[in-house]
Amino acid sequence: MNFLDVSGATKSFGAATVLDGVDLGVGQGEFVSLLGPSGCGKTTLLRIVAGLLGVDRGTVKLDGQDITALPPHKRDVGVVFQNYALFPHLTVAENVAFGLKARRRGSTETASAVKRFLELVHLSDFADRSVRALSGGQQQRVAVARALAVRPKLLLLDEPFSALDRKLREGMQIDLRRLLRELGTTSVFVTHDQDEALTMSDRIAVMNKGGIEQLDTPEAIYRKPATAFALEFVGLSSRLSGKVVGTQDGLVTVETSFGRLVAPGNFVSGAPVMLAVRPERITVDRPGDFAVTAKLRDAVFQGAKVQLHFETTGGDQLMAETADLPHGLPAPGSEMKLGWAVADTLIYPVP
Amino acid sequence: MKAAAAARSPWRDPVIWLAVPAIVYLLVLYALPLLWLLTKSFIGPGGFTLRPYIDFFADPFNWRVVWNTLGIALWVTLACLIVGYPAAFALARAGAALQIAMLIAIILPLSIGVVVKAFAWQIVLRRDGVVSQLLVAVGIWDEPQRLLFTEPGLVLGAANIFLPFMILPIYSVVKLIDPRLLEAGATLGAAPLYRFVKIMVPLTLPGVVSGVAFVFSMSVSMYVVPSLLIGDRFQTLSTLTGRSFLFMRNEQLGSTTAVILLAMAVGVVVGSTWLARRLGGST
Repeated sequence: MNFLDVSGATKSFGAATVLDGVDLGVGQGEFVSLLGPSGCGKTTLLRIVAGLLGVDRGTVKLDGQDITALPPHKRDVGVVFQNYALFPHLTVAENVAFGLKARRRGSTETASAVKRFLELVHLSDFADRSVRALSGGQQQRVAVARALAVRPKLLLLDEPFSALDRKLREGMQIDLRRLLRELGTTSVFVTHDQDEALTMSDRIAVMNKGGIEQLDTPEAIYRKPATAFALEFVGLSSRLSGKVVGTQDGLVTVETSFGRLVAPGNFVSGAPVMLAVRPERITVDRPGDFAVTAKLRDAVFQGAKVQLHFETTGGDQLMAETADLPHGLPAPGSEMKLGWAVADTLIYPVP
Repeated sequence: MKAAAAARSPWRDPVIWLAVPAIVYLLVLYALPLLWLLTKSFIGPGGFTLRPYIDFFADPFNWRVVWNTLGIALWVTLACLIVGYPAAFALARAGAALQIAMLIAIILPLSIGVVVKAFAWQIVLRRDGVVSQLLVAVGIWDEPQRLLFTEPGLVLGAANIFLPFMILPIYSVVKLIDPRLLEAGATLGAAPLYRFVKIMVPLTLPGVVSGVAFVFSMSVSMYVVPSLLIGDRFQTLSTLTGRSFLFMRNEQLGSTTAVILLAMAVGVVVGSTWLARRLGGST
């Protein structure tokens, strides 16, 4: 039994269908990310769960209760907005106290909750400041404390890190994740940033064009993307198009511009397919289940690793990542031997 | 850095000198005559005197005039606030096309002279006028009545004329309020009325204060509108000032009433601004 259960959620704005029958189940205490490009419907889904937007069809259930028709203030669903939406006329402490006062909690209970949550986000010293005097990162923490202080059943976060610079963001992701785990708060997190989703989530829902393409753990989504879209949106990969020339025992042989390659899967002969391999699964100068020879186009030094891009034809892309180059950066134009395992080869139908 | 330096010494910032033409203009055409008026009311045949003020407040008729003036101004301001506040919200949240249409509807009447509008209201408020006919048709009144030359008629007409000065300042504030603040309030468990009182009211207060200050100061000193809509029967400080100068040739009484009127208007405007600051600051 899921704690949050969205089923068949459909939403159109005029002629544009923004959500097309989305199902999403989130377990108690779980942290699920909705990951997708802008316009994929992730924010619409979040607003529907919060009650800020109605559904055309479908239901939303929270903690066993059908909340589809409930207005937002009766749902017990907290939201951290992308721009934080802090009340500019109130101090930091008054912002955090807002929800408690609105729920008519006693003044001692309110004061102790405000104190506790300001401590949790390390803002105790700022309690009496105006929220307008805070930095972006501090404002974000006020927004988190304000949403959590009422102890909502579910916390929704709408790209809460998008306005922060990268260094700050990484630290805050870890802090927020730890805080939510300690409180045991069930959370749904909207982001278009794959690194953020991979770092923070228990599970990720990869969204595209108003639907969920894959809902799984970060590891499964990275290692076995269910669709070509999930493959492309999460992480980098080599992509080689080809035609199925043989199929046997769950293995498919594909004719590509780099010769015949094998992938696990079931396709009929003659079907156009795309093969993909994650760059770190490709070995340089060490053959795997098969080896190809490719000409280096570019070597990009990235500190801990080097990204190698190879020359291909058509829309193909071949790239490898390695931390181990004993002879230093190879020169562009040099021929290199690449290898990888059949098990690491992904195969997708070409539409 | 530059802004901080400018804040410490405003005279260093050359932009401040751009105000010079406006200041000179106001000084020559407004401040000096006002000063002249002020001194006139305090100078009698034997030099400085408070006699005109003592005489003025000794006469119960003049107290009536003061209450008339304040009462009408308060009613007009209240009417404008009640009608204008929701209108400002509608205007701020309307779609682009509707917003332009509404802005035109609000601003265009300002291009029509007050005299013209007051005459139009004379027709509207007659016994056989539109308002009377409407109230009879709806069943509120049993038979047609004349609203012209009555106080409700004056409030109705004046509120219509000054309404834009209430809507526009509130609109300009509402427009800048992030609609997500109300959504944030909702997700924190606040019911619609609580959200309105605790979020919208304090945030729109600056606009309300400027609207109230505009409408009150204009309606406390209006001259043409009461002259045409209610007549001599009902005196306000400004009509009394006008009569003193134009008909009674009593410049001392005229300048005295003008100074009292000015003090009242400034007192209410400054007082409401101060009150709003306090309310906004403490919440």
